Amino acid sequence: MIKVTNLSKAFGGLRAVDELSFEAQPHRITSIIGPNGAGKSTAFNLIAGTLRPDAGKVELAGRDITAEPPYALTGLGLARSFQITNLFFGLTVFENVRLACQSLEQRSRYLVCLDRLTAPRTRAEEMLAEFGLADQAGELVGNLSHGDQRRVEIAICMALAPRLLMLDEPTQGMSPSETAEIDALLKSLAGRVTVLLIEHDIELVMSLSDHVVVMHQGRKLFEGAPEAVRASALVREAYLGVDHAAA
Amino acid sequence: MEDLLAYLHFVVLPQFIDALIIGVALALVALGLTMIFGLLDVINLAHGELYMLGGYAAFTLLGWGAGYWSALVLVPVLVGFVGWGLEELGIRPLLPRADRAIVTLLLTFGVSLIFRDLAQVIWGTETRAVVAPLAGIAGAAGVFVPVYRLFVFGCGLLAIFATWWLVYRTQIGAVLRATAVDPSMVASFGIPIRLVYGLTFFYGCALAGLAGVLLSPIYAVFPTMGHDFLVMAFAVVIVGGMGSIIGAVVAALLLAQVQGLASLWIPPVWAETLVYGVMLLVLVVRPGGLFNRLGEA
Amino acid sequence: MPQAEGARVEGKPPAAARSTVGARLMRAMYPAGTNSTYLRWFGLAMLALAAIFPWLGGPFYTRLAIETFLLGAVALSVDILLGYAGLLSLGQAAYFGLAAYISALMYLNVTQSFWLVLLTVSAAVGVFSLILGAVAIRAKGVYFALITFGAAEILSKIAHNTRAIGGSDGLLGIPVPRIPLFPGVAIDLKDDLVFYYVVLAALVLIYVGTRRVLDTAFGSVLRAIRDNADRVPYLGYNPFWYKLAAYMMAAQIAAFGGLIYPLLRGFVAPNLFGFEVSTKAVVMSLVGGVGTLLGPLVGSAIITFLESFVGSYTERHLLILGVIFIVFVMFLPDGLCGLARRMLISRRKA
Repeated sequence: MIKVTNLSKAFGGLRAVDELSFEAQPHRITSIIGPNGAGKSTAFNLIAGTLRPDAGKVELAGRDITAEPPYALTGLGLARSFQITNLFFGLTVFENVRLACQSLEQRSRYLVCLDRLTAPRTRAEEMLAEFGLADQAGELVGNLSHGDQRRVEIAICMALAPRLLMLDEPTQGMSPSETAEIDALLKSLAGRVTVLLIEHDIELVMSLSDHVVVMHQGRKLFEGAPEAVRASALVREAYLGVDHAAA
Repeated sequence: MEDLLAYLHFVVLPQFIDALIIGVALALVALGLTMIFGLLDVINLAHGELYMLGGYAAFTLLGWGAGYWSALVLVPVLVGFVGWGLEELGIRPLLPRADRAIVTLLLTFGVSLIFRDLAQVIWGTETRAVVAPLAGIAGAAGVFVPVYRLFVFGCGLLAIFATWWLVYRTQIGAVLRATAVDPSMVASFGIPIRLVYGLTFFYGCALAGLAGVLLSPIYAVFPTMGHDFLVMAFAVVIVGGMGSIIGAVVAALLLAQVQGLASLWIPPVWAETLVYGVMLLVLVVRPGGLFNRLGEA
Repeated sequence: MPQAEGARVEGKPPAAARSTVGARLMRAMYPAGTNSTYLRWFGLAMLALAAIFPWLGGPFYTRLAIETFLLGAVALSVDILLGYAGLLSLGQAAYFGLAAYISALMYLNVTQSFWLVLLTVSAAVGVFSLILGAVAIRAKGVYFALITFGAAEILSKIAHNTRAIGGSDGLLGIPVPRIPLFPGVAIDLKDDLVFYYVVLAALVLIYVGTRRVLDTAFGSVLRAIRDNADRVPYLGYNPFWYKLAAYMMAAQIAAFGGLIYPLLRGFVAPNLFGFEVSTKAVVMSLVGGVGTLLGPLVGSAIITFLESFVGSYTERHLLILGVIFIVFVMFLPDGLCGLARRMLISRRKA
């Protein structure tokens, strides 16, 4: 579904991403992991159009999207969430999700009175129900708990009807029970979309992923099934000193 | 051919020199604006009025019998304190707000209105003259420049150099640049950010005040002198890149030349319009201005 | 300040009201959402007051009220940009002045046709706002205010220094045209009362139209841009076009004020480009309440009448304006409408 070839980005002298190549299969969950500073978020930004790569190519379902700006990518089926919650805090949960749903409408309908635009409204209500946010539809996002905000992030992305869902540390700051909910949620989504994930929670990664890409200092260190990653001495070395997974 | 050379020598060159002098003074005003923005994310719309204050302060001090040279030293300090007061009373309370960029802009906007009117109350609406301390004309190769203007040029260059040295060669400057990039990090080192902000405002406004003193014998002093200057000052800061010290100086010299030389052939108001147009053109090519912000790569 | 629209459950107008044109007009005037119920009633109250005002105020104050309407349009244009798109324009006077001068020049030299002048002004303002807007919006965010400020200043200086269009004295003796509506029916603006109601009607139309346009998907994207401009592209919207559309719309509305102004006062002068108009528009917007659309109109009434009142005692109106402005910026950023809303909400909860 998404294929990255020799992607590179440098900031001054720092090679944030160095000749990164990997592929994420359709309808599978692929996770990108790596110690801090490995370049995971930069890689995400390069794929999602936030940053322009110095070199390399990004292909979505065979189509070259390397130079596309973010607002064009949603139309092509790519939706991304952010590591630091980046929602419309002054708008309600409903409004946030509806905004994403509106994006699916034809632009010519944009001057129709909002009351009468039923499709986005209906879809937003469905999304809210699916992600367990229906009770909080009228709350300002800024007033929500952190875990709920992260769920709104995912809801907004799914509302865009993407083919590729990119989530940047979706469980960041969440409690174990909330993380388990996200685990179940993502598993249920996997049939419908391709998921590309950045995560620090190794347990979650091992439980969820079909495929894992390990990054270290901007390069791809290792790529394979979760078990292979867990068994790899190379990976263990990279994480030396940071004890996440019980071997 | 000879006519062209003579034209260049006796018409264009003096104008070029003149614009150089204006450019240096413009750079002082722009430097203050850009430093304040680079550090605090605040656009000080009252900056023109601080320049005006510098001029009026010089006028008043001279009126009380002080010599020009003491005014030259005192006025920037005085204006600096006014700037500090503005920062403490007006800007500081607004900094924590999420919409601080707009709100501080609006605040300084309001302050500029008040200052302008106060100036009219205190000093009246007529133009006031300030006598230049240096008389006489210097000349070389058939080009003549008033001695005072040469002094302004030298003084301005000195101030620019001092600013550069302060920001890039001293401990204080290092702190300043670090604060522009990451204030919380600097604060965690135990450095009082309050003071850094206050000092920056002080210094930036002092520069504006200095420009006011320096230019007052040339342009005289009147209530809207700051306001009139503002379009040029903003154009400089935008073209140079908000927050960039090099940008402020380069753009000031550049745009002063554009205006100065254009004035040879078109009316001054259209010369200024041309500067504005140049600014728009630069923005089409580089929406952020020519140089990057203090601390950015 | 953000208007929470609230869940779909409340705020639906009664079914019977949906049918007639009049009812649809009423619905267009009603901002969607529960929190704005008070706004609806307040707006109607203001309209009622405006309708009977000429009989309360007399000829001088009637003309002052017309000026309130015209400046209110400029303030409204500021609010569209600031309260909805998050853009602070310090130069709406550019379009006010441009409209006023083109209007004056045409009436004096070219034609007496109101509609021809209107079309010309609209086209000129459209082109100007397209070009300036495109550059200013594409530039780094903080520059927008400065660029718009500069535009108005430059135009002011040009008008001041160009003898051909009056120089510092401006242009005098602008005739008041008749506005032909249908064959045989024309509005004569020479009568103050007629003038007043025509402008009031036009302003109401503009207000309703603006509400209607902002109450759409387009408007919601604008509000999203104001709330979090960075996230908007990731929802599939290119903010540039939305901001530009809002800017051009705001320019037309500010131009409306300028179109009529010369007919009211009989002259135009360079100060119409100046900070007096731009500044006052921003102050009015802030005092009334940014993001409410009604706020700037309220603010206009307050500031215009306050200035007239204060002006009879002192010349220091700039000072007073500045102080009022600062007080609101620091302590009442929501403006009066926002304050009223907060008071009403807290009373509802109590």
